[in-house]
Amino acid sequence: MSKVVGIDLGTTNSLVAYVHEAKPVVIRDANGDGLVPSVVSASEDGTIYVGREAQRRLLTDAGRTVYSVKRFMGKGIADVTDEARLLPFRVTGDAAQAAQGGGIVRIGLGEREFTPPEISAFILRELKRRAEAHFAAEGDIDPEVDRAVITVPAYFNDAQRTATRDAGRIAGLEVLRIINEPTAASLAYGLDKRHSGIIAVYDFGGGTFDISILRVEDGVFQVLATNGDTHLGGDDIDQLLMKRVLDRSGASGRAPSAEEVQEIRQAVIRAKLDLSEHDEADLVGVKMTRSELDALIRPIIERTLGPCRQALADAQLGPGEIDEVVLVGGSTRIPLVRHLVAELFGRAPHSELNPDEVVALGAAVQADILVTGNREMLLLDVTPLSLGIETMGGVTSKIIMRNSTIPATGSETFTTGVDNQTAVDVHVLQGERELVADNRSLARFKLRGIPPMPAGMPRVHVQFQIDANGILSVTATELRTDIEQTIEVKPSYGLTDDEVERMLLESFEYAEADFAARLLIDARNDAENVIMATEKSLRAPEYAEVAAELKPGERSQIDAALADLKSAVGLDDREAIQRKTQALNDATRHLAEVMMNRSLQAALGGRNVSDM
Amino acid sequence: MITARSKDYFSFLGLPRKLNIDMADLEKRFRALSRQFHPDYFVNAPAAERRHSLEQSSYLNDAYRTLKNPAARLEYLLGLEGLALKGPQEASQAVPPALLEEVFALNEELDDIRAERAAGAAVEQLKARLVRARAPIDAKREEHEAQVAQLSARWDAHVDGGGDPEQGREILVALRERMLERSYINNLLAGIERELTM
Repeated sequence: MSKVVGIDLGTTNSLVAYVHEAKPVVIRDANGDGLVPSVVSASEDGTIYVGREAQRRLLTDAGRTVYSVKRFMGKGIADVTDEARLLPFRVTGDAAQAAQGGGIVRIGLGEREFTPPEISAFILRELKRRAEAHFAAEGDIDPEVDRAVITVPAYFNDAQRTATRDAGRIAGLEVLRIINEPTAASLAYGLDKRHSGIIAVYDFGGGTFDISILRVEDGVFQVLATNGDTHLGGDDIDQLLMKRVLDRSGASGRAPSAEEVQEIRQAVIRAKLDLSEHDEADLVGVKMTRSELDALIRPIIERTLGPCRQALADAQLGPGEIDEVVLVGGSTRIPLVRHLVAELFGRAPHSELNPDEVVALGAAVQADILVTGNREMLLLDVTPLSLGIETMGGVTSKIIMRNSTIPATGSETFTTGVDNQTAVDVHVLQGERELVADNRSLARFKLRGIPPMPAGMPRVHVQFQIDANGILSVTATELRTDIEQTIEVKPSYGLTDDEVERMLLESFEYAEADFAARLLIDARNDAENVIMATEKSLRAPEYAEVAAELKPGERSQIDAALADLKSAVGLDDREAIQRKTQALNDATRHLAEVMMNRSLQAALGGRNVSDM
Repeated sequence: MITARSKDYFSFLGLPRKLNIDMADLEKRFRALSRQFHPDYFVNAPAAERRHSLEQSSYLNDAYRTLKNPAARLEYLLGLEGLALKGPQEASQAVPPALLEEVFALNEELDDIRAERAAGAAVEQLKARLVRARAPIDAKREEHEAQVAQLSARWDAHVDGGGDPEQGREILVALRERMLERSYINNLLAGIERELTM
């Protein structure tokens, strides 16, 4: 029986998890790392890299490396032009399609152009591979993974969800369910706590923000309301900080290269992370204090409060009626975020579960429910946006209201305007506004095969169905003749079924980092870890204390092995790298022992074993 | 693909056709039925079962949503009993007899206010007049809510007591009238809001 996994396909990092002996666990690499950076890079020989290796290439080959592709899913070129200016990779769109209000975005990766679902598929394939390698290592007879639950932001619209499901299909995964990130988090959290009450999940990630309010009762996780902003996240904070640095250095005149921008970006991210722990940090040579950061980013974080209030209003609850607040997403580590959330809800928020991993764990639990039919828990989610159709005068007529529990249906009856008219056009939209122009175009449906009749006679009953994934499908029947109509769907910002099929077939042609390349990557990773550990030890204050215990010449041996490995790690000779890694390990073994003894002594310092 | 013509929201949830519903009980029933029908539990089932689960859970969610909201619940019951309110058009065209006086007075007041505005009167003054004009309509709405509550209780008693169908019908007709009036009142109030924000 093939395995099923839960996947968090994040803006910044992705994870894969599964349920092992009734508990969800994240699948990690050899270094114990569960996060796979959502970065894809193409080398000149056409090899595709995903994850840490791709992330490294941002500093050497930024123009051939793509990150934060989630921000482009289900969007057209008009939606992303502003943002695309700041990115090192090419973002284009089909001008003719864009003119008609639609058309999917294309992203340049190396010499080729891909749609966002195809790029996401590279990441998904890597997660699939990681999971299969794990199961194989565990001795599973059938380690193949071909089914998954994939998470999306709760506020993702239909086009964004469909793009995610398409990405799964292109990666060779049967997507059993698309579930909302806050709901997944509540599942993982609920497992842990086993309580009932009203929970608010505040999910602030790299690119998106969601707030969901749920009632948990009797194993049923029922979403009461959800709101958010699919274009608000840690990336925006990074961009603000980058702008500050670039403005500062702009005086020098020369525009930075794409790689230099990426270096600045990584430095800015490091500073941001440091400022979550300390009161000041170095921002590319200039000191920044926590309060300066707070002042700079406050407007961004305050943008999350409006959706929170709206969700509370839709749930018909006051902030005081929330029993628990849960924080999800890396950006919730920022102290100002915690402070403002605590202020809004009048209580301290929880973050006992790792905010980076909780969504993947929840997805794994949901995958397990779907496959085992375990009825202990049930997710009842809602559609985040109202669904409507265009009517006379460019106005939207709502058919399914936002925050309706899904699956949900709605219907509308159409007729013809002209004698013997055999087809009717329906324009479907998502959003809360009155005018069509202010809402999100989902798709245009053409209903064909209406029996010829005088104008106004046909009664074409169109049924809209939002399924458990939050994705729309449409059926139509002409009521007088009871003939089911054929519906041709033209998604405004998506792929047709044929296109997805074609991409799945094409995906077999791409040379992903093959086995040998993988071994090289692993060898490099190991080498870098040992180099870092060695340098850290040599720099540590304890080193001075133990140096006397080293044998004569030992230090110069360590230095030589270190230099030797450092020069080898950038080259492609895997065998040499492994040999020299071993050599450095051997050279530092004694030092490691001595330092370990020293720190044990310090820890035990003056205490008897019987005291402990 | 048309679902469940033979059943209605009340019977689907195992509830009598009453207008006052115990919310906690409704939630419990909703959860139990969700567990029975939700597509998550039918992922591996044959296609026909999956289709059925999708239909039933969609219907359940519609039923829950409608019965949870008092106004929607009442409107639905009226529809079931053959006393549906027609489209919003009909509801707002004819002035309900019970409101004739108020509507007349309000229209006069609004005409005066518009004349004053055209003559350049102070905005604050006009707003104050509008707020005063609103008062009788607000009062009417409260009176109206009380009547609906009373009639609803009588209907529920009728259902429990298995009373005369004619009597039951009378109660529903009265409720329908109140619903039409409510629509009208809401439109009036919305109109005043619009004037206030102009």
